[in-house]
Amino acid sequence: MRLKPFIYAVLLASFGASAAFGAGGPMAGKTVRVGVIADVTGGAGVYGTPQKNAYDLASDDIKAGKIDAGGATVVFDVQDAATDAAQAVNLMQKFTTDGQTALVLGPTLSGEAFKAFPIAKAANFPVMGTSTTAEGVTAIGPTVFRCALAESQVIPTTVKRTHGKWHYKTAAIIYGDDNAFTKTDGDIFARELKAAGVDVVDTETFHIKDTDFQPSLTRIESKHPDVIAIGALFPEATKIIEQAGKLGIKAHMMGGNGLNSPEMYSVAGSASHGTVVGAAWYSGAMYPSNVNFVKHYTAKYGKGPDQFAAQAYAAAQIVAYLVKNGATNKDGMLAGLKHVRVIQTVLGPIGFDANRDVKSSPVILSIVKNGFTTFH
Amino acid sequence: MIAQQLLNGLFLGAVYALFAVGYTLVFGVLDILNLAHAAIFTAAAFAAFSLASMGVPIPLALLAAAVMAGIMGILLDRVAFAPLRARNAGTLVPLISSIGVAIVIGAVLRGIYGVDERHFAIGGAAAAPVIHLGTVRFTTVELLIFLSAIALMLVLGWILRATALGRSIRAVAEDRVAAALLGVDLERTIGATFFIASSLGGAAGVLTGLEYNSATIDMGGPIELKGLAVIILGGMGSVTGAVAGGFILGAVETLAIAFGLSAWRDAILFGVMFLLLVARPTGLFGKRTLRAA
Repeated sequence: MRLKPFIYAVLLASFGASAAFGAGGPMAGKTVRVGVIADVTGGAGVYGTPQKNAYDLASDDIKAGKIDAGGATVVFDVQDAATDAAQAVNLMQKFTTDGQTALVLGPTLSGEAFKAFPIAKAANFPVMGTSTTAEGVTAIGPTVFRCALAESQVIPTTVKRTHGKWHYKTAAIIYGDDNAFTKTDGDIFARELKAAGVDVVDTETFHIKDTDFQPSLTRIESKHPDVIAIGALFPEATKIIEQAGKLGIKAHMMGGNGLNSPEMYSVAGSASHGTVVGAAWYSGAMYPSNVNFVKHYTAKYGKGPDQFAAQAYAAAQIVAYLVKNGATNKDGMLAGLKHVRVIQTVLGPIGFDANRDVKSSPVILSIVKNGFTTFH
Repeated sequence: MIAQQLLNGLFLGAVYALFAVGYTLVFGVLDILNLAHAAIFTAAAFAAFSLASMGVPIPLALLAAAVMAGIMGILLDRVAFAPLRARNAGTLVPLISSIGVAIVIGAVLRGIYGVDERHFAIGGAAAAPVIHLGTVRFTTVELLIFLSAIALMLVLGWILRATALGRSIRAVAEDRVAAALLGVDLERTIGATFFIASSLGGAAGVLTGLEYNSATIDMGGPIELKGLAVIILGGMGSVTGAVAGGFILGAVETLAIAFGLSAWRDAILFGVMFLLLVARPTGLFGKRTLRAA
């Protein structure tokens, strides 16, 4: 509680500073166009829509001077890839050749990124993934950056921390094998659990959009694992946890970034309590910009942001930082991204490592009634 | 474990079967594949969700959504099929028009509900009280879903076998021209067929939504493909075949996972189907057994 006056003071100061620079900053009068490829419709619409919402909010916040872009106008041209990799490729082609776009953010899914980012690489065009966390995405090329903490950065810590507390000896893994993100989860969990000396007694796979996990969970239960590692995005993860609860499964549950959504506790209810989630972002983090972001997003859209929204908003903050520092075209953006040290975002202070992956620490959370808390 | 898995398969199969009987009924009568069936399945799930969120009890919401789905079926026939039927457009053109209607229904649902997953406020089957029976466990809502699906299929069987409407439907399925010559009102019978088929598809949508506590815009996609597999396996146009096919599909899918082959689930599913169809190319219950249902 003692933090509150301090936070308010920081908030006030940051508002004051941004208001002072907002209208007449060093980049006043300049307009920078940023292409955004998001799956607003189609199967991944539940992930792309919060991203679009976050860019719309960030656009308002830049105009209002709440995010400092040096007084420039930043236009986020959000285009819908409709969960179609071919459309993501077409949009990447359009943005990288229209002569107006300075940077591309997205697409939403790793599978789309593996097809679209090579185009950016060939055009020597800067792109930044905000949710494409599968292994190998930034390895596509030297113009590919990522502000989303990869599963390979999150899951090892999750396994280490849970193993340190629960001292489990056996585990089961359930993951989606038809999606780059969830497949990566499954692979990394298997690798890390083995490295921790845990016996993986069963591995089950499913497909994105599956709804019935009872056969897999019944099989898992027959092997009596101490812990179940879930490689899923929240629509499937909520059902896995809910159905595990129904089957009376008592094993501990854990997962990665895909489980970092308010849907986890609001849908899976008490069955989700105690589930550990390794993630890039904590909705309750007290960074001033995060407190504001959660408050304003919730007020504008009637529901709290999820990690997809938070990472998109962080990307907008990075863009604003680059623009404030003089980047107005693709070459400026590329040079700026290469020289980023630390930027304050809703994800906390972040930078990029030598592989152009985000340099940040994962947060290990635990689901409680109506929210997340940090896992100790 | 196997007893629980068989029960899992039984519950899954009942909803597959309920969806597929509506699918096959239209094929039996008109020789066309109605690819808007899954869209109506989805629309009914959302309608039930809306009603439930307004405080309507679930059984009433199920009934109302099924009736709404039935009316949608009649409208679907009037808009997408009847004009083509009047022009003897064959069987492939209606396939396209039904895809068109499915896309329109999907767009309307997206406009109304957005892309977010919807949930019943009371929770789904998993949130209901659990019944322990020996080594198996299931919830009261799962039991209710299973019994509702079975009851609806029994009612359909009774309508087809024992009512004047059923006789008309079977006559039209047998030979449309001969049925018309014998005084069967073709358009009325076809309309009734669409109403019944779509009501059953809609009920399957509501029960699926309730089972998994989830209604999404694309929830019809997976069941559409499986429904198609079920009606081919059962024998195109055969209601009995669709019921049998639904339960076989549910059992194979569940047992593949029970034996540790979750990664091969769909390959096994369609492999078994292929072998059964090689043995019986017209499907388990032959062609057009609707007329003898």
